[in-house]
Amino acid sequence: MKFNFKWLLLLVGLAVVFIVDFPILTVILNSFRTTDSILSSRNILPDQPTLTNYFYINTRTHFWTFLLNSGIVALASTALGTGLAALAGFAMSRFRLRVLGIYNQALLIVQMFPLILAIIPLFVMFRRLDLVNNFVPVILVYTVTQLPFATWMLRSYFDSVPKELDEAARVDGCSRLRGFVQIVLPLSTPGIAAVAIFSFLFSYNEFFISSVFLRDENRMTMPVGIQSFMQQYSTDWGGLMASAALAMVPTLILFLFIQKYMISGATAGAVKG
Amino acid sequence: MPRAAIQSSQRVAPTLLVRGLPIERLPYLLLLPSLTLICLIELYPFLSGVSYSLHKGTLLSTGNFVALDNYVRLFNSPDFYNSLSFSFFFALFNVVFSYLIGLGLALFLNLDFPGRGLCRVLLLIPWIVPAVVSIVSWKWLIADRGGLVNIILATFGLGPIYFLSQSGWAMVAVIVIKIWRSFPFMMLSLLAQLQVIDRTLYEAGKLDGASHWQLFWHITLPHLKNISIVQAILMVIWSINDFETPFLLTQGGPSNATENLILLSYRYTFGRNDIGRGSAVAILTLVLLVVLATLMLHQQRKIA
Repeated sequence: MKFNFKWLLLLVGLAVVFIVDFPILTVILNSFRTTDSILSSRNILPDQPTLTNYFYINTRTHFWTFLLNSGIVALASTALGTGLAALAGFAMSRFRLRVLGIYNQALLIVQMFPLILAIIPLFVMFRRLDLVNNFVPVILVYTVTQLPFATWMLRSYFDSVPKELDEAARVDGCSRLRGFVQIVLPLSTPGIAAVAIFSFLFSYNEFFISSVFLRDENRMTMPVGIQSFMQQYSTDWGGLMASAALAMVPTLILFLFIQKYMISGATAGAVKG
Repeated sequence: MPRAAIQSSQRVAPTLLVRGLPIERLPYLLLLPSLTLICLIELYPFLSGVSYSLHKGTLLSTGNFVALDNYVRLFNSPDFYNSLSFSFFFALFNVVFSYLIGLGLALFLNLDFPGRGLCRVLLLIPWIVPAVVSIVSWKWLIADRGGLVNIILATFGLGPIYFLSQSGWAMVAVIVIKIWRSFPFMMLSLLAQLQVIDRTLYEAGKLDGASHWQLFWHITLPHLKNISIVQAILMVIWSINDFETPFLLTQGGPSNATENLILLSYRYTFGRNDIGRGSAVAILTLVLLVVLATLMLHQQRKIA
């Protein structure tokens, strides 16, 4: 009796999953059918699966450029953001000073800062510096946007490394910074990897900032590129679906790596906030 | 020497300043790079934004000082109240429904059944895929011609509903899609909290003859109170700051029905080349967020 009830719960669970993920499922299924078939068929499954859309975006669009640009921007901001957050997170984990409390408040404000407020003056400034269509402003804004979350998460990972370890290293004549680099960092590798992947996902997925600063087709990131498809070929559902399906492949792969860290991530802001 | 180092290092952090020892520079140096970047990317723009909002400028020149004229004109413009109210309802519906759906699914995933880990992972997908991907899929689902929702309606002899060209339906669509993108995060954080509630509390409650409902009301809910308020604050902030959902789906239309404060600021700035009013809207949005967050945090302290 009890046995049956558990399997019934699984069945309910899968039904909920199917409903919730249905829109994403349609992107994948529709990417294998022509636009005509998407618009006319009553079938959810493709009647005659085809790779036409994929060939089309491969040869006729800047898809791979968008992917490369997204990769550059996301990697650079992840490296910079995780690095800066690790330094600040270490300070917050190992020192007790008033300035750290103030810094924590600053992170809270960064967390709620409307990006449009940053974008207007930065756009004016970077335009004067002739840095529109340049990755630098986008990378810098992404880095700052990631800081609160990355710092809080890393701080809690560093907190879980016993203080006695880096103190022992100091006894052996190590500076505090070396103790951090050689002892605390290696022991927090899984946490750092999780934070880095979170940051990468955020930057890879982000649309708003990129769309303001990267307007030339050769500089667009993936989300901006897909949005420009959406505007130019709003009726080419096949091509749109295929590019959307390909765009989420990196997201889904990275997500599989960090899904078990998701729970600690979801509460990081809450606990420290 | 080593012994002395141990003793001092154990006391170093808290007592450093009090004892008049030289202030350790390391923590300041560790914060310096991130603080510099925060100043460049948020503090400097904030100060310029305040200044822009007091001038009548364009993207090319700062323009003349007009004092509070931009704000006065905003308070007299229907566009502003329209955006304010859409932002408000957008945030309200999003918080309420992502909380209810998130709580329901968190309670469900907290039950013991095979494959619940898999279900949890798959339910997070709407939250982690890029916004633009979700919007492409939803745009097809609710398209006027050939969209799945309208095909289904047609088989029942209903519709078609022109979701993106009727104000009311466009608002519904933007809000529903936002809820769909938000609830997994709510679910995840509530589930995390549910999993740390002490099991023995429930056993003790059962021994005392409490019903399922009483267990939920007197044990589960009080344990979720804190995280619920914090997540609600985050959700309000993120909803009001959301640009992607309305912009990608409707660009604020039809006739500004789905234009929130961020899109209004964006339209003034980049559409009308009026950075004075664009910045004024952005500053007011920040003020609104700070006020809301402070009120909600205050409420949390009162309850907790």
